[in-house]
Amino acid sequence: MKKASLKMFFFLTEIINHRVVDSRGEVVGKIRDLKAVLGELFPKVVSICIQKKSRGGPKNKKEIFEIGWDNVKTINQNIIKLKEDVGDDLKPLKTEKNHILLKDEILDKQVVDTFGAKVERVNDVHLLLAEGELRLVHVDIGIRGILRRLKWTGWVDGITNWLFAYQIRDKLISWKYIQPAAPDPQRKELKLNVTLRKLNEIHPSDLADIIEELDGQGRTAVFKSLDLQTAAETLEEVDPKLQISLIEEHTEDKASDILEEMAPDEAVDLLLSLPDEKKEKLFREMDKGKKERLMELLKFVEGTAGAIMTIEYLSINQSKTIKDALEKFKKTTDPLETTSYIYLTDDEEKLAGVLTLRHLIFNPPDTILSSIMKKELIKLSIEDDTNTIADAFKKYKFMALPVVDRNDRLKGIITLRDAVDAKFPEFED
Amino acid sequence: MSKGFLKSRWKVFLIFLAVIGPGIITSNVDNDAGGIATYSIAGAHFGYSFLWSLIPITLVLIIIQEMSARMGVVSGKGLSDLIREKFGVKTTFYLLSALVLTNFGNTIAEFAGVASAMGIFGISTYLSMPLCSLLVWLLVVKGSYKSVEKVFLVACFFYITYIISGFIANPDWNLVGKSLLSPKFSFNPASISMLVGLVGTTIAPWMQFYLQSAIVEKNVKLKNYKYSQIDVITGSFVVNIVAFFIIVVCAATLFSQGIKINSASEAALALAPLAGKYCSYLFAFGLLNASLFAASILPLSTAYVVCEGMGWENGVNKKFSEAPQFYLLYSLLVFVGAGVILIPRLPLFYIMFLTQVLNGMLLPFVLIFILFLINDKRIMGKYTNKVWFNVIAWITAAVMLALSVILLYSIIF
Repeated sequence: MKKASLKMFFFLTEIINHRVVDSRGEVVGKIRDLKAVLGELFPKVVSICIQKKSRGGPKNKKEIFEIGWDNVKTINQNIIKLKEDVGDDLKPLKTEKNHILLKDEILDKQVVDTFGAKVERVNDVHLLLAEGELRLVHVDIGIRGILRRLKWTGWVDGITNWLFAYQIRDKLISWKYIQPAAPDPQRKELKLNVTLRKLNEIHPSDLADIIEELDGQGRTAVFKSLDLQTAAETLEEVDPKLQISLIEEHTEDKASDILEEMAPDEAVDLLLSLPDEKKEKLFREMDKGKKERLMELLKFVEGTAGAIMTIEYLSINQSKTIKDALEKFKKTTDPLETTSYIYLTDDEEKLAGVLTLRHLIFNPPDTILSSIMKKELIKLSIEDDTNTIADAFKKYKFMALPVVDRNDRLKGIITLRDAVDAKFPEFED
Repeated sequence: MSKGFLKSRWKVFLIFLAVIGPGIITSNVDNDAGGIATYSIAGAHFGYSFLWSLIPITLVLIIIQEMSARMGVVSGKGLSDLIREKFGVKTTFYLLSALVLTNFGNTIAEFAGVASAMGIFGISTYLSMPLCSLLVWLLVVKGSYKSVEKVFLVACFFYITYIISGFIANPDWNLVGKSLLSPKFSFNPASISMLVGLVGTTIAPWMQFYLQSAIVEKNVKLKNYKYSQIDVITGSFVVNIVAFFIIVVCAATLFSQGIKINSASEAALALAPLAGKYCSYLFAFGLLNASLFAASILPLSTAYVVCEGMGWENGVNKKFSEAPQFYLLYSLLVFVGAGVILIPRLPLFYIMFLTQVLNGMLLPFVLIFILFLINDKRIMGKYTNKVWFNVIAWITAAVMLALSVILLYSIIF
């Protein structure tokens, strides 16, 4: 049973609390945890953490010591044997930023399954011993993991076999898709795993669900680990009550960066629910242009077109050509739903007509826009309430409608989706 | 300056409104069918002589609930979550199994309360049970957390019926005041089991789980924790004020006439000739409200807590396909709990008895878990118990343990 010659799987809970014996056969203590290094797809265990057998000495019995993996001769479900005699001078356990304790930080804790985009609770940790190395390969999230720890597998299997000729199977997820959600206790940030699919690659709506599912600290840690754009998109999707607490966890400059990345109408909704001092602090950090646009939106009464509309839209002077319009279109990074129409204005910034993307593609580049634009427009006024807006969408079936002020100047647009959200707030959940 | 002052006052009030709920709701569910029965019996059989016990009970309730609330705010995790993470799946599983069993018994007791209160208004059990269980189930499954909480807060308001009936009963307020402030206790078996009953019904294991989860769900921030404290303290006072009036009503009427009762509905019926029809109806309506209220919260909190601890998806805002265990457990508790009442010649007394035993056995364990968790620096940081608080809390736990042992002893022998 040399550890080098063996290839075997076992579960963390099968070895936890087993005795650790040194080369002379003397019991050193009990194994309490395993320490692994993050950085590879399947992290390598570098030391075993033990609690010393109390030899009458009353001082700090709970202290955990570590023994390097090099010193482990045999490890299996029954016993852990060491190569040498370790004596009394054991090193106290130390953890670095890239270290992870399998029992303390993974077992029974919440993790994010980045492949399935779900939060799971770990019932066991699956390890592989091969070529003298012990590696973390799977986490167990199934009922069988619970049964095993209750030591119930025997009779439950008996019953299910007898009744249904069926056995409950292990439900394992490969470690390469797992991101632990418990933050580093000292540094209060996520211990990032090298996953095949990064948190940032998960769709923002799924990320929002994940964040809602996690508990307080995990939630903050996961949110803080996201890049600006993903954080902004995710924030747009989460429950408004959570939005506030998430944004308040960030420093003002990071928070205002995220707000700048968000769709302006969403950012304004969030700003409106923040206390005044917080709002002011965030504005102070923001760049000027963005700040003025948001301030403008903030002025509108809740539930009116002005408050619902977004200021991300495409507009261009009607005397320009298709070529100019296409240039402008290329530069925009706004979402597609806000660019399904191109709005044309006259020299006084008044709304004059509308074009669709199709017009731009099927007409020669030097066409003057005013010659092909549609002049009969359905417009909303800044003061219109949600019912009027909903009625307009119901009647005219456009993807988006322009919003104008009293002087007929274009101020923003309302997309179908924003109109639905405003009319049926329960859809936003 | 005064305008700024007013504005900041207003803001504090708004924050308070956003944070309140969990403590007040938990405490009021506490005055459930079993609670009302116990207080009624205490009043009818012992007159005003147990009124003083409400003062220490209020204090203990505040101490225990404050810890649950603090854990919820600081860790952002539910109690079963924390137990799972600190003590592992095995401990959690057995603890939760005991909780499910206990709460199932409690749920049956609530539906029994609904049935008997409906009976006073002349509605057959065979009609009231299906209707009420469906009502309870729909409220939670179809409502959102916010709307459910609003309904619950309104239900809290209806406890005022007991306060009104307290005044209708026209007690001797002088004597009431004296009894409240001068503790008297005679060490005979009947008094001891009454005291244990009073404590046991006011401080139940499920409350700690429910309260903490509700606070986590509210996402209360540390800086607003003081409002949660106010919430919890207010709740603890409200529950005991209601208890006070129930005891007063029964003492002023039933005790002075020497009428013995065994349940809350008997108390309501016995009130009619003594304090008038309206007092009796108010009492019965209070019982109905309390039982229905608790019948919706108990199964909900049980399902919630179990799924939380076992790592299954939960919450009323999830669809059935997303959280099957949650909905199954919840539905089973509601419908089986109500269905049991329909069984002819049901040995209801023995079910109550078993539930009480389980409640009593479980509570000390839950308290000990709470004390271990709240003193864990890794979970609570600098918000662990202060030394003096710990002393009080451990003494409280020890007293509860002793009372539970006495309760068990008195029930079994």
